Order: sequence, then structure tokens, then C-alpha cells
Amino acid sequence: MNREKVLVTDLTKSFGDLLVLDKISFNVAEGEFLVIVGPTGCGKTTFLNSLTKILDIDSGSILLDGVDVDPGKQNLAYILQEYSALPWLNVEQNIAYGLKIKGFNKELVAERVEEAISMVNLEKYRNYYPSELSASMLQRVVIARAFATKPDLLLMDEPYGQLDLNLKYKLEDELLSLWQKTGTTVIFITHNIEEAVYLSDRILVMTNKPTQVKTELINGLPRPRNVASKDFVDLRNQVTDLIKWW
Amino acid sequence: MTKTLFSKDSRETWFYGIMGLLVFLLVWQAACIFTDFGRIFPTPGVSLSAFFHAFIEPIGRYTLLGHISISLRRVLIGYTLSSISGIIIGLLMGYSKLAHAIIYPIFSIIRPIPGIAWIPLAILWIGIGEPTIHFIIFMGGFSQMVMNTMDGAQHIDMELVGVAKVLGAKESQIFRKIVLPSSIPYIFTGLQTSLSTSWMAVLAAEMITAREGAGWLIIAGMQTGKIENNVIGMISIGAVGLVLATLLRNSERRLCRWSVRSR
Amino acid sequence: MKEKTKYIVISIISFVLFLVIWDLVSKSGLISAKKLPAPSKLFETFIYKIFNKNPDGNTLGIHILTSLKEALIGFFFGIVIGVPLGISMAWFKKFDKFFSPLFDLIKPIPPVGWVPIMITFFGIGIMSKVSVIFIASFIPAVINSYSGIKQTRDVHKWVAQTFGASDRQVLFTVAIPSAGPMIFTGARVALNGSWVSLVAAELIASTKGLGYMIQTARLVGRIDVVFVGVLVIGVFGAIMMEALSLLERRFVKGGRRS
Repeated sequence: MNREKVLVTDLTKSFGDLLVLDKISFNVAEGEFLVIVGPTGCGKTTFLNSLTKILDIDSGSILLDGVDVDPGKQNLAYILQEYSALPWLNVEQNIAYGLKIKGFNKELVAERVEEAISMVNLEKYRNYYPSELSASMLQRVVIARAFATKPDLLLMDEPYGQLDLNLKYKLEDELLSLWQKTGTTVIFITHNIEEAVYLSDRILVMTNKPTQVKTELINGLPRPRNVASKDFVDLRNQVTDLIKWW
Repeated sequence: MTKTLFSKDSRETWFYGIMGLLVFLLVWQAACIFTDFGRIFPTPGVSLSAFFHAFIEPIGRYTLLGHISISLRRVLIGYTLSSISGIIIGLLMGYSKLAHAIIYPIFSIIRPIPGIAWIPLAILWIGIGEPTIHFIIFMGGFSQMVMNTMDGAQHIDMELVGVAKVLGAKESQIFRKIVLPSSIPYIFTGLQTSLSTSWMAVLAAEMITAREGAGWLIIAGMQTGKIENNVIGMISIGAVGLVLATLLRNSERRLCRWSVRSR
Repeated sequence: MKEKTKYIVISIISFVLFLVIWDLVSKSGLISAKKLPAPSKLFETFIYKIFNKNPDGNTLGIHILTSLKEALIGFFFGIVIGVPLGISMAWFKKFDKFFSPLFDLIKPIPPVGWVPIMITFFGIGIMSKVSVIFIASFIPAVINSYSGIKQTRDVHKWVAQTFGASDRQVLFTVAIPSAGPMIFTGARVALNGSWVSLVAAELIASTKGLGYMIQTARLVGRIDVVFVGVLVIGVFGAIMMEALSLLERRFVKGGRRS
């Protein structure tokens, strides 16, 4: 196993009296694709927003490369369930956004944008605004924006939750190939079990609120994966049984 | 409410809010005492006592409440007329393309003319008196009412109309059951903006052509050099404006609870 | 004939018919020309007013320039001060708490209500008008930029924060651009309010400007000049709004957002 990239220890967060995250601990290896599954409403957005320091946590620690996580100093990127392309920027400017925030020089920004824009095949649409793009293109813009910064850690919050199935499969494959090409560490949250089994190196199963880690499963299925194979179906059923909260 | 009243955040809100008002009053007071401002402008204390006196002692021919109720009656008449006719013409132009083609070119001459700009014409046409003031208020609200209603009637769900037609609804039924209800949120937006312009129009009209009313009160304050009357007038028109807007917003909330536009 | 052309033709016929009937009514004396001058007469007066100073002491051009100058100066300062104040109130809590009650106090007073006080302070020159118009545009500028910033979507802020954006960067690269359309809505309301209050202020007390022109013409019974003035007020109001829409299209990218 590779070097440890992320180490979360006893992460706890509550809103007033409501305990949302209860002593969550786990780790992620460098270049690993970790999928977190849990029932709907298990506080996953709170969880990710705590990881990125958008929310202050009550106790516990989150280490990235051995130091406290800090988006100002480290390279994080966040892909959300909702369309988060910035409507007032065109495709090119959206992809450049993260790089500009991080203060890269112009040449590097231009170079990275070109790279990212061709990764997601949006060259023809570089001057389009989000309101002129389809749902799948929007999600590609967001993915390109994230990968353009070459993030140490990529956080994804059900990025394909609102897309139809065909698009979802297509974008999942695109994501996997980008991940394999770049070697980025990914934490991917979903409540779609098939998606989890298809994408992950390892699956973390969460409980209902207050959220805790219920168990973890190593997913050693060979890639590319066949959703109809027996091993795949077995693993999927195993996760489904674990997640049953009804 | 009692729980949040003493929370840290709301304590801060009160603290800064009161600080803000105090600073304002202090600056006002200081300006009156230390600068020439005080020679033309009353102190906060004088203004406040004048305000309460105005409830009992008449200014001109009426007490403060008398002036306000005269202005309100004028607004009510002009506003009701402009709302009714604005809604009718707006619905017509929004729903029927023919009506739109006929009326819109003529309407678009009137549309950009502020209600207040009609004052001299209205005086020449009708003379000085109540109908002139009503007319000015009417023109103040009319265009906004038409535009908003038309917007609403043009934004109906055509699928819904299609379904209704397939089910054999008559034109009149479609109009009553679909066009009218879906225009209502827009109509309410129109009612709100047009009420505030009507309130502004009555003030301007009263400043120019009346001997009573809130508008007259503030202009008379200027003309007679009694600036405290001016201040009283402003406080009361502000208060009335606030009450009117709040009333309308509440009634919208009650009447179109289903609508996404009313938050 | 295509449907669209059909309606355009109807529109043209309707408009021409309107003018013809107006002309007939006036010329036949059905309504006295003293109450309703014929359109042709209005056109004559319009041309006449371009070169002639009667009855109000200035040519039409001078009145238009005076009004535009007053309106635009007041509008400019209202926006330049109102928008940053609205943004600051929405972004900095203490600012909000300090200014909100004060602002709530002056907000419901219609700009026209300020005319007498401003005249008392500044006399009937340009300053009194500019300050009334300042208030007329300042208030909607504050309200709209405030709510524009408040409506910034969380996800957009999160994106920026995760990339490591500072508070300042979030404000300038996310909140302000996302409030753009609302800020322009505010500017539109402000411009409209400026023009209305300018006319009111000029009607009440002034020595020049379109409002003054129609008021004076009214006093000397020149209804044709009143008519021309009112129409010119409408036309210039519409032109300024159109200019603002052009600016908006230039500055607000990516279309209107809800």
C-alpha cells in the first residue's frame, strides 16, 4: 500500500444539540480512490465541508500529508452534486478559476487550462457560458476545473446524482481514466451502491446520523469492471446488506 | 422570540442598531448646536415634540392625521382605478396577440412618461381639484400595472393550456382557470410597485396643486419656514409608506401561498 | 401573410389610425385645440422649441441638457456610494447591524418627500436636485446590491474556499459577480426613480430643465409646449433605460440568473 495521504481522527461536528458527525476516523492512501457510501441524509455534505475547513469542526483532526488540512496552502478541489460552474464565467474562465485563486502565473494558467479543456473534450465550447451548456457539459467543466489545479486531494459529493444513466456511465469512465492518468487521491461520496463498487479501491460504509464509520471493504475487483460479473454483483449485494437502515 | 431575544447574536443586533441610531441623533443634535444647520433645522427634540403636537393642533386646516387621511383617500381612489384598468388592459394585451398589436404601439408612448410629468397637463385639462390629483395618481401606477400583468399573462404554461384545450375547455374557461390565476403573482408585484409610485405621485401632486394632505404639509413647511412641519411630514409619509407596503406584502402572502414568487 | 407580419401591419395601422383620429378630433374642434393640440401642431412646436426660447427663457436643448446633467450626476453618486454600501452591509455583519436600522428609517420616504428639505438647504440650484436624485438612486442601489450579495449560492462560495480563496477573494470573485444582475436591477430602479424625482423637483422649484419648461408653459397656457415637454421627458427616460440595458449586456456575462 502506498504512503498515507489523508488521516482523519475522531472527527466530530454538531450543530447546536444535533450531533452530526460522531468520532469519524479513517485514512486514505496516496492515489487511492476511496468511496464513502451511506444512507441519504447521513450528513455527507457536513462531512465534506468539514474536510475542506468550510465548517469548523468541534474536535478531532484532519491531516493531509501529515499536517492540518488548510485549503489556503494545500491543493484541494471539490466537485459538488449541484452544478457549481460559475455562471458569470465562460468555460475557459471557469476552468482557470482555481488556478487564478492559487495565484499561478498567466502562462501556466493558460497551459493548464488547455490541458484540462482537452481532457474533457470541451475545446469547441471554450467561449460558452454555463447557461448555454447541457448538464453533462457543465459537470465536465467542473471536473476540468478541479483537475486543472492538479489537486493533492479531490473531494466529490455525488457529482453524478442528477444525470441520466447513460451520461453517468460515460462520465464515470472519464473520471476513472483521468484519475489513472493523474494519480490523484479521491474521496468520493455517493449513495448509489453500484457506482461505489464500480469506482472504488475501497468502500467506507457510514451509519445514519449521528454518522459513524460502520465498516470498510477493500474492493479488489480488476479494472475495467463489468457490472454484470458475478464478483461485482456479490460485492454490490454485500454493500447493500451493510447499508440497510430500514 | 423570547429565546432569541437574549442570544448573543441578537444582543449584538440591538447593540449596533441602537448605536447606529444614537450616532445619527447625536450628529443631528451636534449639527444643530454647532453649525449653521441649526438656524434652519430643528433639533431632534424639537422635531419630536412638534410631531406629537401635530396630532392635536392643526397645521393649516387639519391635524396631522387629517392630512394623512386626505392623502390616503386620494391614493386609494387613484390607485384602485389604475389597478383595475391596468389589470384589464394588461391581461388583454398579454393574452390576445391582436389586442397587443392594436394597443401596444399607443401604450408605448405613455409608458415611459412618469406619472408626475402629467401634473401640468392634468391641471390644464381638468383644472385644480380632486379629479386632477386622482388622475395624476392614476397615471403614476397605470403603466407599471399594465406591464406587470401583461408579463404574467404572457408567461402562462402553454402545456397547461394545451391540456385544457384537449379536454374541451372553452376560451373563457381557459382564461378564467389558467391565465388569470397564473398571472396573479405578477399582478401582485405590479400592485406593490404601483402602490409606492402612487404614494410618491400623491405627494408630488399635493406639493404642486393642493392646500391639504401630507405633500402639502412638507411643502408648506418649506414655504413658511417652519421646517419642523417638514420633518413631521417626512416622518409620517415614511411611516405610511411602510405600513402600506407591509399590508400589501402580507395580503400577497395570504392570497398566493402556492406561488413560488411570494417568499 | 405570415402571422408575425400580420400583427406588425395591424400595429402600424392602429398607430396611424390613432394619430389620424387625434388630428381630426383636434382640427374639427370636437375637443378644443387649447386642450388637445393636433399632432402636426406638436411637431411644429417641437421644431420651434429647438431654436426658440419662448415662453420659458431657454431652448429645448438647454432644458434637456440641464435635466440630464442633474439626473445623471445624482444617479452616478447614488450608485457609486449605494452599491459599495449595500455590498458592505451584506458582507460585514457589524456594518449591517449598524446601518440597517438607520437605513430602514429613510427607506420608506419617497424621494419626492425630500424636495422641500433639500431646497431649504441648498436653494433652488442644481445641488438641491442632485441631492434628491442621489437619495432616489441611493436607496434602490443599496437594497438591490445587498440582496444580490445575500443571494450568493453557498456552493459557489464553497468552490472558491476549497481552492483556498481568502474572504476577500470570495467577495470579489464570487459574491460580487454573482450579484451583478441584481445590482443592475437596482440601477434600473434607481435610474427610473432619478428621472421621476427630477421631474418632480423641477416642477416644484427650478429655473431650468424639462420639468421647469412644462410648468412654465402650463402657467402661460401653452399646452402645445407642455405636450412636447412631456413627450420629450418620456423619450429621454426610455433612452436612458435602453443605454443602461446595453451597459448591463456588456458587463453581466452569462445571462440573467434567477
